[in-house]
Amino acid sequence: MLEPVMFTGGLYKHDLIVELVEDLGGYILQKNVAQSEIILLILVPSEDKAALEALAKELRGELVRAPLAGTETAVVTPTLAIHHLPHTACDIAEYLRRHGSKTNMMGLARGVGREIAQINEYETALINEHDAAVFIYGNFQECIKHKEKLYQNISIPVVVTGGPQIDSKELPYAFDYVPSIGRVAHRAKKATEIGTLDRIVEAVGRALDKTRASIAKDPLTTSPPRIMDAVREQVPDVEFSYSPLPIALNLTGVRVKLPYSHYKDDVAAVKFDEGVRLGEIATIRPSQMKDYILVRILPSSETGFVF
Amino acid sequence: MDPMEVFKIEVEGDEAFGAKKYRELIMDILQDLGLIRSIGRLYVYIDIKKPFFSVYGLLRSGIPPLTAKDVGDVMKVQGGYQVKINDEEHMSDLLRALWERYGRERVDQPARDVLIIASDSSPADLMVADLEAEFMQDLTDALVRIAPEGFRNRRNEMTKDSFFFIAAEEQLTQEMVSEIKEKIRGMENA
Repeated sequence: MLEPVMFTGGLYKHDLIVELVEDLGGYILQKNVAQSEIILLILVPSEDKAALEALAKELRGELVRAPLAGTETAVVTPTLAIHHLPHTACDIAEYLRRHGSKTNMMGLARGVGREIAQINEYETALINEHDAAVFIYGNFQECIKHKEKLYQNISIPVVVTGGPQIDSKELPYAFDYVPSIGRVAHRAKKATEIGTLDRIVEAVGRALDKTRASIAKDPLTTSPPRIMDAVREQVPDVEFSYSPLPIALNLTGVRVKLPYSHYKDDVAAVKFDEGVRLGEIATIRPSQMKDYILVRILPSSETGFVF
Repeated sequence: MDPMEVFKIEVEGDEAFGAKKYRELIMDILQDLGLIRSIGRLYVYIDIKKPFFSVYGLLRSGIPPLTAKDVGDVMKVQGGYQVKINDEEHMSDLLRALWERYGRERVDQPARDVLIIASDSSPADLMVADLEAEFMQDLTDALVRIAPEGFRNRRNEMTKDSFFFIAAEEQLTQEMVSEIKEKIRGMENA
């Protein structure tokens, strides 16, 4: 089994880590260079983790488990106005990132108010492209219960956050409800506030585990990191994409950040060692996000094999 | 400790948590905008079911307008007056005021913080900025930030020593406004 970990350390000699991961049959999911520091998100076979830990120690780096690595989470606020940003939304997004998730922050066009709040079809479809969503609500329980309508048509697990204590059973469409983080006008600094952020990460982790369990019942034909590797190798233009993460991983596929109309055939033609092409084991369609390419791997019940 | 003499907040229904958090939120925003010392009393009344949000506040004593002598040292020099700026924040306001009174050709700026005015009349009492108007603008900004987002029907009644602000989702009716005023008066007298 592959284990998600995050390496933080100096840029000097980091390629030793990259080489070791490749030799062990793992994957480098993301590479962030900040001056002389580097952060690597890695999937490594769990039985070989000790080897990586030893090398990280030798290089004076830090290796921690990143339970959300390889997933994409939408952090949704009613709008992108000063009422919801930056404090709560940025704190949550940042904290999810520290645990390895790729987060996208989204403000709804008309999510404000109580009676007038609404979400449109495009926003719903865009959120559905993620693996989990966090909806950030405010301090009044009446509003939190009422604004359930915003996420009741979303098919991925939704973690709702708000101020007051509400029993999760009262929000039947939410996967979980995390209290004590309503609308605040300061950054999360106190231990209790950080504790709440931990609870959000834990809830998102459970939501992802639930999705993983349901995928395991009918496994995907191949794993998303393998597709990422093959696309990176065979569609070299992806390295010239301006996005910080040119191939974003989901639990059921990848999003390739290249224009759909130009590159869809190149992506579909990506060939694996087993002789199959990506177009045969996955659906390739335009993403709701810009004009990117969305690759969704077909389950083994449809293709008849797993590799 | 509250810097205000009175700060009451009431929320209809079972929203004790919301009331407590709104109190913190209002303090945070007023502190961020540096307004908290100018407000003496504050009464907040919210009903989230209708829904509306209202604030009534009493202001502390008025702020005098800022003059040239508050911004820098005014001295008589040969051929006119010299202003040596201490507070650069209001430099552009001061320049605009001087240009308006003396004309651009009579205002010279030999150094970054020195202005020389070729005139016999002293600019010491020239009004540079109306701080009270600025305060009122900042206060309106703070109230819009504090009110829940999406409450776009607003009414803001400001006088020299008080302000009354309502924001609601639905149209504001005369009955609603007077009902809220009545409620706030009750809070004030309680």
